[in-house]
Amino acid sequence: MILHTASEGITFARKLENDSAEFYENLAQRNAEDAETFLSFAGENKKNIVQVERAYYGVITDAIEGCFAFNIDPDDYTLKTAVPDGTGYTDVLSQALEIEKTIIKFYTDAAEQSRSLMADVPRAFTIIARKRGNRLEKLDSLLRR
Amino acid sequence: MALLEEPIKEVRTLKNYIDGEWVESKGEVVDVVNPATYQTIAKVPISTGEEMDAAVEAAKAAFPDWRRTTPVARARHLYRLKELLEENFEEVSRIQTQEHGKTIDESRGETRRGIENVEVACGIPTLMQGYYSEDIAHGIDEWVIPTPLGVFGIIGPFNFPFMIPLWSAPYAVATGNCVIVKPSPEVPNSQMKLAELVEEAGFPPGVWNVVNGERAVVGRVLEHPDVKGITFVGRTSTAKEVICKKCGETGKKYIAQASAKNFMTIMPDCDVERTVTAMMTSFFGNTGQRCLSAANAVIVGEDDAFYKSFMDRVVEQTSNIKVGYGLDESVQMGPVRDKEKKARIVEYIESGIKQGAKIRLDGRKDIKIVGDYPETCFLGPTIFEDVTPDMRIGSEEIFGPVMSVMRVKDLNEAIEIANANPYGNGDSIFTTNGKSAREYQYNITSGNVGINIGIVAPMAFFPFSGMKDSFFGVLHTQGREAVRFFTESKVVIQRWF
Repeated sequence: MILHTASEGITFARKLENDSAEFYENLAQRNAEDAETFLSFAGENKKNIVQVERAYYGVITDAIEGCFAFNIDPDDYTLKTAVPDGTGYTDVLSQALEIEKTIIKFYTDAAEQSRSLMADVPRAFTIIARKRGNRLEKLDSLLRR
Repeated sequence: MALLEEPIKEVRTLKNYIDGEWVESKGEVVDVVNPATYQTIAKVPISTGEEMDAAVEAAKAAFPDWRRTTPVARARHLYRLKELLEENFEEVSRIQTQEHGKTIDESRGETRRGIENVEVACGIPTLMQGYYSEDIAHGIDEWVIPTPLGVFGIIGPFNFPFMIPLWSAPYAVATGNCVIVKPSPEVPNSQMKLAELVEEAGFPPGVWNVVNGERAVVGRVLEHPDVKGITFVGRTSTAKEVICKKCGETGKKYIAQASAKNFMTIMPDCDVERTVTAMMTSFFGNTGQRCLSAANAVIVGEDDAFYKSFMDRVVEQTSNIKVGYGLDESVQMGPVRDKEKKARIVEYIESGIKQGAKIRLDGRKDIKIVGDYPETCFLGPTIFEDVTPDMRIGSEEIFGPVMSVMRVKDLNEAIEIANANPYGNGDSIFTTNGKSAREYQYNITSGNVGINIGIVAPMAFFPFSGMKDSFFGVLHTQGREAVRFFTESKVVIQRWF
């Protein structure tokens, strides 16, 4: 099912943030050494939700194309968040990298599509995508350690 | 997609909010029906004239103290109201969807626009400053003081139940007046919620009152000698025959915003993709029940290939609009407000067919409702081609999701047919040519003009304008003009011996 409305787009962003936050919280429990990093990612996800919602609620008006804001296929942004028992730490970190790349792609695509929602929504998406870029470096450094 | 939670969970009988108290009405009660589910969500009283009198008395009694409350202090009440509205943003929005049927994005957009008017009115300490001239004659000074007048009536329509009373009420109370809001009995719940927040914000009793009802209370507020002015949004016939006449007879100020038949002119040089997307919102947003909805699409030029490819795209995108209950986030168009309104729109569709227009998409038949809801109030979007300005669908306000497509040879002809229509509310042009845009803006007789904007809804700090039979009055709602409307200029000339 393709997502078209602004409300759907925001709800989907919220889902990606919550699902990945849960993934990192689980990861923190499994790996005490890097728990602080993963918990900071999860915390940042919650802030991202606030940032997205604030942007949306701040600019949504009846005069813009709110019901025709996106053309997003959620299947293009499926997150693999389940970690089967016995999965090695390297594999889990690779999984985290994939999650981040998928979410960055979502925010980048959504920013491009939501230009009609005034500046705030695409700007919030772009900022979050950029911040997530830093996570890629961090995860990569953990992988190489 | 799961439905968002409905905020109204039980049917309660609404009360009036008079003099800071929630008062049961003695009038009969009627059902408020959710147009998507067709379930009763509330019972609203049709209040009596005496109950309107009580509200006027309360407002009149509150006025002297409220007027003496400093503008800064009055603004603080509005700041508190703004904060409460932000805290309750989602609930207020969902109530609108539940009672009116619009999509959740549209409701949130309406809430935001309403709040923006409260925000603008918070600037009242500077907005209502007067001006001063020293030495207009030897030793004589002159100044003007914008002075509040007393009690104002605010009569709301059904199509924007939350926002439209906020085009007036915040400015009225900010300037020191007291108000009586009369919501549409079809959609009173969001105004009830607003009144709860007004109470929580600590406005003194009598400053902001709400009386539910219809003709009896409207008649009384129009006739009441202690009511100094009225703002009204509704049909032209009511504006002209009732509001203007009654206010004229009783010496009231008035702002009457009325019907519309909006023309969207599409030039062959337009950005097709963005124009078509804007058309979806403009023609079918709020299910076409908006005084700024485009109604006629006027396609300029004799290039048949452009026309065909453009219309194919419009029809394809329109066919994909998801119709359903607005609390389903995937829905792009909700139901019409009630079955009588749907019947009226269907009658227009039938008249279009009879008068020879070509129906390209038939909203009576080509409709798939998302979810399991009764069809009672649902209609799909309709597109007519080969429409002429003399057809009823090309000239009269339909107030529903119907696009009437006309072709003209050039921009001048497009402007001529728009100007020949009795209404002049919100017309727009889609073009990439600055000269065409300038010609259009200069020559069109319309209160709100869009250039590559499909819904020309002025921000809260601009007047919501209107021309010809779409507007009656002098000043408009919103912003500085609203401040001007709710005050009278007291001119003082002073000399000391």
